[in-house]
Amino acid sequence: MKKRLGIVIALAVLATGAAIAQSDPIAQRKAILKDIGEATKPIAAMAKGEARYDSAVVQKSLATIADGSKKLPDLFPANSKTGGDTAALPKIWDEKTKFDDLFVKLTAAASAAQGTIKDEATLKANIGGVFGNCKSCHDDYRAKKS
Amino acid sequence: MNEASVIAWDGPTRVFKWALVFVVLDGWISNRYGGSVPNWHKFNGYAALVLITFRVLWGFVGGSTARFANFFAAPGKVFVYLQAKTKFLGHNPLGGWMVVALLVLVAAMATTGLFSADEDRLIIEGPLAKTISDAMVDVAARWHRYIFTTIEVFVAVHVAANVIYAVAHREPLIEAMITGRKPADQYTDMPVATPGSWGQAAICLGVAAALVFGAISAAGGRPF
Repeated sequence: MKKRLGIVIALAVLATGAAIAQSDPIAQRKAILKDIGEATKPIAAMAKGEARYDSAVVQKSLATIADGSKKLPDLFPANSKTGGDTAALPKIWDEKTKFDDLFVKLTAAASAAQGTIKDEATLKANIGGVFGNCKSCHDDYRAKKS
Repeated sequence: MNEASVIAWDGPTRVFKWALVFVVLDGWISNRYGGSVPNWHKFNGYAALVLITFRVLWGFVGGSTARFANFFAAPGKVFVYLQAKTKFLGHNPLGGWMVVALLVLVAAMATTGLFSADEDRLIIEGPLAKTISDAMVDVAARWHRYIFTTIEVFVAVHVAANVIYAVAHREPLIEAMITGRKPADQYTDMPVATPGSWGQAAICLGVAAALVFGAISAAGGRPF
């Protein structure tokens, strides 16, 4: 009896935890986008010639971008249009397919860049193909800070 | 019908005019579709600055209709023009103000671009953004957007006005900016334009490029 109650409580706790994670897609997507932003910083510095090329950092950052962008389309459910200090514009849900497709493109670009970027020159030549996806999405779907 | 035509705009003025049209359009295109090639949009901005600087120099040494002294009229003259509606070979007093407004707006657009960057400072950054504070970069980026909207409005008015002149007043203004010639007529400003020289235009362009890139370097920026 005691054991069964324990299992029920444990399951309940697990379910609640999952529900919280599920019910707060805004916080989740913000965290992933933040990670992607942080991953981008060192590469951007290398591309601008402000930091030395570091293959390990580049590969790790590209992996972060590819993995994160894969999860993002599911984190913009219809019930997450407002709240949580979101910068997501309502337009996202009018054009959800187009919006989701931008993440697919970002994932593909970041994965491809893992193969094509081998040194500073190939970084400069190919990183735009990854970052350009960030820009096209931010231009259309992210509220301007100011 | 008098078939005779006179020169209205010299070659350099016309080349500048259409180059500026191209640069404004390309600025929009490179921002919208060139996210993966930030240097494209930046190069476009430098081209705009060089062109405007050229035009300012050309406004002093260029062909007679391109000179500011011959078309930048006092507001009083604009009123006289609006009532008398006489024909001008060069810019009429009202059109002269539009020219100056467009030059100032595009110059302001490109200059704010030098100091702008995307919110996260990751994707695109003007060469002088790192010389000012992050808060000021945001201000510059915001004005870069506002000024673009203003340019859209002015361009719409400018194009509409020229179409109206061509259709309603039968003044082939757009054609003249392509061919350089207008039908001979009783023009208020001058009967015929004195063209500027290509050599001087080349010097103006060289000086303009040196001024723009020199100023960016002097302010501590690398163009690319």
